[in-house]
Amino acid sequence: MYWRSLNQLAETPEVRALIEQEFPNYNPSELATTSRRKLLKIMGASMALAGLGLTGGCRRWPKEKLAPHTTSQGNHTPGQVEHYATAMEVGGVAQPLLVASFDGRPIKIEGNPTHPMSWAVKDKFGAADAFAQASILSLYDPERSRSVIDRTRDAAGKSSDWAAFGEAAVAAFGRAKGAGANVAVLAEPMSGPSAVELRKRFQVAYPQAKWYEYEPVSRDNALAGSRLAFGKAYRSKLDLTKAKVVVSLDDDLLMFHPVHTRHAADWADLRRSGDKGEMSRVYVAETTFSVTGTVADERLPITPDKLFALAQAVAAAAGVANAGTAANLAPNETAWAQRAGADLKKAGKNGVMAAGPAATPVVHAIAHAVNQQIGAVGTTVQLLEDPAGDRPTHLEAITALAKAITSKQVEVLLILGGNPAYDAPMDLHFYDGGDKDPSILRSVPVTIHLSVYDDETSRACKWHLPMAHYLEAWGDARAWDGSANICQPLIEPLFGGKTAVEVLAIAASEKETTAEAIVRRTWQEQLIKGGDFEKQWRKTLEAGVLENSAFPAAAGATLTAATFAAPAPVSGPFVRFTPDSHAYDGRYANNGWLQETHDPITKLVWDNAAIISKKDADAWGVKQGDVIQLDAAGRSIQIAAFVQPGQPIGVITLPLGYGRTAAGNVGNRLGFNTYHFRQSVDGDVVSGVKVSKVGAHYTLATTMEHHILDEFAQKNALDQRVGGKGKTGYIVREATLAQYKADPRTPHATSHGGVSLQLFNNPSTFNTPNAWGMAVDLNTCTGCNACVVACQAENNIPVVGKDQVMYHREMQWLRIDRYFKGTAPAGGTAADDPNPQVVHQPMMCQQCETAPCEQVCPVAATVHDTEGLNTMVYNRCIGTRYCSNNCPYKVRRFNYFDWHAKDPRISRPAPYHGFPDAQQNDPAQIDPIRRLVYNPDVSVRMRGVMEKCTYCTQRLAQAKISRRNAAFAANGSEKGSEVVPDGEVMTACAQACATRAITFGNLNDKGGELVKLHKNPRAYEVLAELNTKPRTRYLAKLRNPAEGEKA
Amino acid sequence: MSEAAPTPPTKRFTFPRWVNYALPVIAVAIAGGLFYAPTLFVLGASPKTTAVGYAPEQPVPYSHAVHVGKLGMDCRYCHTTVESAAFAAIPATQTCMNCHRPAAEDDKGKVKVGTGGIRSIIKAGGTDVANPALKPLHDSWKTGAPVQWVKVHDLPDYAFFNHSAHVNRGVGCVSCHGRIDQMDKVYQSKPLSMGWCLDCHREPEKELRPLDQITNMGWKAVDHPYAEGETDAAKAQLKVGLKLKAEYGTRDIPYMTSCYTCHR
Repeated sequence: MYWRSLNQLAETPEVRALIEQEFPNYNPSELATTSRRKLLKIMGASMALAGLGLTGGCRRWPKEKLAPHTTSQGNHTPGQVEHYATAMEVGGVAQPLLVASFDGRPIKIEGNPTHPMSWAVKDKFGAADAFAQASILSLYDPERSRSVIDRTRDAAGKSSDWAAFGEAAVAAFGRAKGAGANVAVLAEPMSGPSAVELRKRFQVAYPQAKWYEYEPVSRDNALAGSRLAFGKAYRSKLDLTKAKVVVSLDDDLLMFHPVHTRHAADWADLRRSGDKGEMSRVYVAETTFSVTGTVADERLPITPDKLFALAQAVAAAAGVANAGTAANLAPNETAWAQRAGADLKKAGKNGVMAAGPAATPVVHAIAHAVNQQIGAVGTTVQLLEDPAGDRPTHLEAITALAKAITSKQVEVLLILGGNPAYDAPMDLHFYDGGDKDPSILRSVPVTIHLSVYDDETSRACKWHLPMAHYLEAWGDARAWDGSANICQPLIEPLFGGKTAVEVLAIAASEKETTAEAIVRRTWQEQLIKGGDFEKQWRKTLEAGVLENSAFPAAAGATLTAATFAAPAPVSGPFVRFTPDSHAYDGRYANNGWLQETHDPITKLVWDNAAIISKKDADAWGVKQGDVIQLDAAGRSIQIAAFVQPGQPIGVITLPLGYGRTAAGNVGNRLGFNTYHFRQSVDGDVVSGVKVSKVGAHYTLATTMEHHILDEFAQKNALDQRVGGKGKTGYIVREATLAQYKADPRTPHATSHGGVSLQLFNNPSTFNTPNAWGMAVDLNTCTGCNACVVACQAENNIPVVGKDQVMYHREMQWLRIDRYFKGTAPAGGTAADDPNPQVVHQPMMCQQCETAPCEQVCPVAATVHDTEGLNTMVYNRCIGTRYCSNNCPYKVRRFNYFDWHAKDPRISRPAPYHGFPDAQQNDPAQIDPIRRLVYNPDVSVRMRGVMEKCTYCTQRLAQAKISRRNAAFAANGSEKGSEVVPDGEVMTACAQACATRAITFGNLNDKGGELVKLHKNPRAYEVLAELNTKPRTRYLAKLRNPAEGEKA
Repeated sequence: MSEAAPTPPTKRFTFPRWVNYALPVIAVAIAGGLFYAPTLFVLGASPKTTAVGYAPEQPVPYSHAVHVGKLGMDCRYCHTTVESAAFAAIPATQTCMNCHRPAAEDDKGKVKVGTGGIRSIIKAGGTDVANPALKPLHDSWKTGAPVQWVKVHDLPDYAFFNHSAHVNRGVGCVSCHGRIDQMDKVYQSKPLSMGWCLDCHREPEKELRPLDQITNMGWKAVDHPYAEGETDAAKAQLKVGLKLKAEYGTRDIPYMTSCYTCHR
C-alpha cells in the first residue's frame, strides 16, 4: 500500500474531496445559485466588453525596434545560443557549469560535460543541480543591491559609489595600526588560486591582520575526523561506480554533499546494473530523513547519540580490531550494523563507508578505519591532500572573531560574502536586534560587507558593497577533486558589482584591481607554466577546467588512531540542523523558483518547519502545523511542526535558511529562523531539548496531497473507474532484486493488464518521421529536484506564491510524486511504521497517444502532431479547463492570473486594466530585469491559458532544423536525415538528471537507448488500464535489501 | 442547481404590451446582423487588418531598390545569418561603413570620400557624412550606440519562424518579403497571417525554387529546365515545384501543419 501523506493513508474526507475535484478551490454552488436572468445580464455585459476590446484589439501591436551591433561580432551569430564554461562556488567547492547565452544574456545553466567532477550523457549534455539551475534567476533578481551603500552617518544608509568607498577605504585602512593588528577579514571559503593568491598579498600588506573563514553549513567534522585517523586533514573523494556496498552514517551523499551530482551519477551506475542481476546495496543510518535515505536499501533512523556506537558495531563486524565494544544499541540497530559490517567485509575493496557532517569527528575516524581495513582506499575512496585542511574549523573561527570584536581588538572588519548577522551562532551575537539589542558588528568602527544583497549583515555594517554574481565576474575555483576551474563571466555586472578578489585587491592597495587581470596573472604565474600561455589559456577557458590540476593523492596516509574515544554522552530529544532544499543556508531565500520547488521529502514549499516523527507527534499531542516551542540551554524557538513518517524518533529536524528579514520581497518573513536555536557549541546537533506545545497553528503549504492520482488508499477508486474487474494497475511498481531475478514480471504481478481494445482506430501512429518518447527509471530517481528547476528555467514557468500553491495552482510542468509504503507494526497501522519505504516518481505530461485531454477540448487547442507530441496551442486555448479535468495524470496547469506580472509575495495585486502587452512593456508594472531570464524559444503564457510539458519541443525543433540544414548543405536534400538519433537531443529534465532516471529519445531509432528501455522487463505504463497509450514509460524500482530485512 | 420554490400560477410573468413594439426592432437587428457578420469577416481578412502595406519610417531612409535592385547586392551581404539562424540579422553599422566610411575629415570639417567601393559611386567631394539622412548611421559609428531600425515583418510572439529552415530548403526571400529589390522603403507585401503561412505549408510546390536561386528576386520558373517549356508562370512553377519537392524530400502536409511546427 502506497500513500503520499498520512491524511491520505487515513482516508480523511478532505483528501477524498481533493481526489474528486480537479480544481479544489472551485465553488460550483456559486454558479448554481445564479438565476437565469442574472446570468444573461453577466453575459450581456461581457459581450459588450468583448466588443469594446475588439475595437481596441483591431490595431497593430506595438512597434518593435531592431538594434544591431555597431561592429561585427566575429563568430557570434545573433539569435543563436552559445555556451560558455564557468563554475559556481558554494562553500569553497566549485560546481563546473556550462551556461547557455542568448545574444549576450545567460538564460540556462547546465553541467560542464567534459569536467571530471561533473557528469554528462555522451560528453554532450551535462547535469547541474537544482541550486545551480536556479542561480540564473538570482542573477536577474531586481532586488539585488544596485549600488554601494554608505551607512557611516545614518543607519538607513544612502546610496554611494565605488569612488566614494575607495576614498573611505583609504581612510579606513589608514586606521590599521602598524602591521594591521586591528584589521580582520571574515570570508566565505574561497578555493580559487587567485583568491588564495590575493589573500596572501593582503596578508603581506597587513601581516598581522587576522583572517577568519566561516560557512554555516560545513563539513568540518570530516576534516577533524581525518585528523583523528591520520593525524592530517585529508579530503575524501568517493568513487561510487565501484562501490557495491555503501554504508553511510548520516551522510547525505546524493543531495547535500558538495559533489552530490557526481555521487548520484556514479551511484546510479550500480543501480541500473540491476537489470543484469547485480546491484549495489546502500545502507543509510541517519538522524534525519535525507534524500540518500529515501533510496537506501537498508535505512535505519537513529538518534545522533547512537551514531558512535553504531559506527563501532559496523567497524567491529567489518573486522576493525580496535573498534571497541558498542554499547546501548537497540536490537534492530545492532542487527543493522552487523549486516552492514558483514557486507562491507564481503565487498572488500568494493565497499565504502562514509560519515556525515553532523556525525562527531570520531565517527569519521572510524569510517576511515573501516575503509582502510576492507581495502577500499584506492578504489572507492581516494584521500586527497587538502591545502586548506589545517585551517581552524568554521565554528572556531567565528567564535574567535566574536571574541576579538568584543575585546575591542578589531577596528577594521572586512566581510567578504556570507551573512554572519543572520547565520552565525546566536550566542556570538552577530545578530542585529535593533538599537536595544545591537549586533557586535555595530561596535566595530569600520565594517565593510561585500554581498549580492543588501542583507542583514550589510544593514549592521558601515559600508555595503554590491558583489558581482558569479555569472558576471572573472574568477577561479577548485572542484571537490581540486581541479582548477576558470569562472568566466557571461555578462557585464548588471549593477556594478565587484568580486571578493577585487575588493581584496583594493584593500591591499594592489596596482591591479580588475578580476580578469588578476585571474590571468595568477594562472600565468602559477598554473599554466611553459608553452604558449595565450593558447593554453584559451583552451582552458573553453574547457572550463585545467587538465591535471587535481589535488594529489595523499602520500603515505597511515592510520594512526589506536583507539576511538567515545564522545561525551548526551541525551535527547535532539535537534538536528540541516541545509534546506529551497534556501540552502539562507543564501537562496529570495529565489522564487527554489522556494516553490517542493522539498524532496516533506514536499513543503515556501517554508521550513520542525520535522518530527509521528510517534513523537502523538506523544506530544502535536498535529501538522501546530506551533511547538523548543527549549534548550539558553535558547528557545517557536516553530510549526511537520509530522514526517520515517523521521527518527526523538529527533527534531530544523532546516536552516528561513526567517530572513532582509532577503528581499520573495524571501522575507518566510518560515522560521532556526539559526536562533544554534549556538557556537552545537555544530549540527543540539541535545536535551525540551518540547512544548504553544497552542497556535501555522499554515504550511505542502504539495504532497496535490494532484493525487486516484488509485492509492482509495478502496473504491478502481471500482469507479473500470468496473472492479481484476486488480489495480499500480502506479508505482517495485520488487526486490532477488524477486526480480527469479521472475522479471514480479513488479507487474499486481497489475490489471493492459486494455488493448479500442472503439476507434487512431488516425495515425504518430511516428513520422520521429516518435518521441521517454523512460523514467524509478530505480535511480532520488527526488533531488534538479529536473523540476531545469524545466522551470527552460520553459519560462512562473512562480505563483504560497497562497496560490495552497489553492493547488503551482505551475511546474514536472513534479516529483513521493510515495511512502509502510508496514503496520504490531498493534499499529501502516502510518506507525517508523521506517517506511519511499519511491520518487517524476510525473509530467505522458504524451498519451489516445490523450483524454484532446477529446474534450472544444476548440482543438490541444491536438496531436505527427511525432507523438500532444501539442498545447496557447493561442487557441480559451481556458475552459476541460482538458485538465479529464487528465488522469493531473499534469496540466492553468494560468489563473498573469503570473509573470505578479509578485508572488503580494497575494492580491491591483488589477491591470490595460492591454497585456502594454503591461509587459511597462517598467512600472514589471521590472525589465525580470524579463531577461526568459528563454526566447518558448512563449511566455498569459492569463487564461492551459499549459503543460511539451517534451521541450523547442529543443526538438532546433535539433531537427540543424540536422536538416546540414543535410541540405551536404546533399541538397533532407532525405535520409529525418530520424533524429537517440542522444542528439535531450529535454531539459533529462539533461539535468545526473542519475539518468529520465531518458528522452526517439522510438524510431531502433538501436537507441530509449527503445531498449521501453522493452525492459521493468517497463510499464502508468494507468495503462485507461488505454491512454502514454509515450512515457516507467521502469519499476528495485530494492536490494540484505536477507532478514523486510521486503 | 438550487431548488427554487415552484411559482404559483397566478404570479406567472407575462410580457407587458409595449414589448410588441420591440418586434420590428428585433427584425431590423436580425437583418443588420446578416449584413454585419460578412462585413466583419471581410474586414478581418482585408489588407488593412493584416497590415499588408505597412511601411514604417526608418531612422535612415535606406533604399533596397538602390542597393539590391541597382547595385545588385546579395541579401546575404547584410543579412548574414539568414542561412544559419532563426533570425536574419540586421547588419551592424560596420557593414554600412564598409562603403560609407569616411577616410578622414579635413580641417574644414569637410569629408573626403572613403576608400571603399563607394568611391566610384559618390563623386569626389561628395557629402556622404554631411548627408543629413545618413546622420544616425554616422552617429552610431561614432558613439557605438546602435541604429534603432523599426521591425517591418513582425510576427506575433507565439509564432516561431526560422529563416534558416526556409531558405536552406528552397523557399526564396521573395516568397514572404515580395520584391524587396524594387522597394525604396520596405513595406510588408504579404499578409503574414496564419492562413497565408498554411497555404504554403500545404502546397509548398507553389513556392519552391532551386537552392541557388533563393535570393534571386527575379527568378522565373518558366526558365527552369523542369518547366519543360511551359510558358504559363503558375503552371511552370507547379511543375518545377513538384519535382523539387520530391528531390528535397519536403515533408508531408500533416507534419508541416502540426501546431508545434510554428507554435511553442
